[in-house]
Amino acid sequence: MRDAIVIGLACLAASGSVAQAARETDYALQCRGCHGADGAGVPGRVPSLAGVAGLLDTEAGRTRLLAVPGVRQASLSDARLAALLEWVAVRFAPPGAAAPGKLTPGEVARLR
Amino acid sequence: MSRFDGFTERAARKLAMHVSRRSFLARLGALLAGGAALPLLPVARGAAESPPSDDPTSCDYWRYCAIDGFLCGCCGGSATACPPGTEMSPVTWIGTCRNPGDGRDYLVSYNDCCGKGYCGRCFCNKNEGDRPIYYPHRSNDINWCAGASTSVYHCSTAVVLGVAEEAQPEK
Repeated sequence: MRDAIVIGLACLAASGSVAQAARETDYALQCRGCHGADGAGVPGRVPSLAGVAGLLDTEAGRTRLLAVPGVRQASLSDARLAALLEWVAVRFAPPGAAAPGKLTPGEVARLR
Repeated sequence: MSRFDGFTERAARKLAMHVSRRSFLARLGALLAGGAALPLLPVARGAAESPPSDDPTSCDYWRYCAIDGFLCGCCGGSATACPPGTEMSPVTWIGTCRNPGDGRDYLVSYNDCCGKGYCGRCFCNKNEGDRPIYYPHRSNDINWCAGASTSVYHCSTAVVLGVAEEAQPEK
């Protein structure tokens, strides 16, 4: 029984690291070129990603986020784009910010 | 002489009885059509591709698989650094290239160097994963110096950011 729990935890950890690698690769290929490794953007030219968490909290914010050309045109599946946007919201949120809202693949498909 | 004439006549008649003109024309036509199709075989196209190079001033260097511009390594800089007197654009596009050394795909950032006129040396135009300009974040046809303090393009770098793990296959 103990072995089964250990194996189960190891599988969970492995799937978490695979998901993390996928988010980092997607961020590099879809966002990092303009927003930078730290998500800070270029003052006056490219916006910071610190505000993404706030956008996920409301329907109007999610609609606005999915209307950004780089988001709408991202060469990712709906599920993968939803996961990337949630990851960006958490990764670049200001210190002490509350957990951002969730985004489903279905909502991405409807809004993009 | 009459024996030679007789031999030639018999040989000609035998040939005419066994080989028709239609068969000759069919074989000649097949030979001509087949010969014309030879350059279309995939073997010929494969042989024409350039092998990867270890030279960072060659367009066939593996990390240049999607570079469009002058190699900074030929312009006083390197594959990862801008030449003196130029600045690296803070915005760029990022693609992936496969390293033939280990068979893995790597993230490559094609930052432009800006502030001087065209370098004019080692021009390369490789387009693996490049997208049309209406997908600006995945296009190498853009002057990325637009994000720098000057939009005057000089040359391009190819900075490896890391391994592209778990990348979604392109459609």
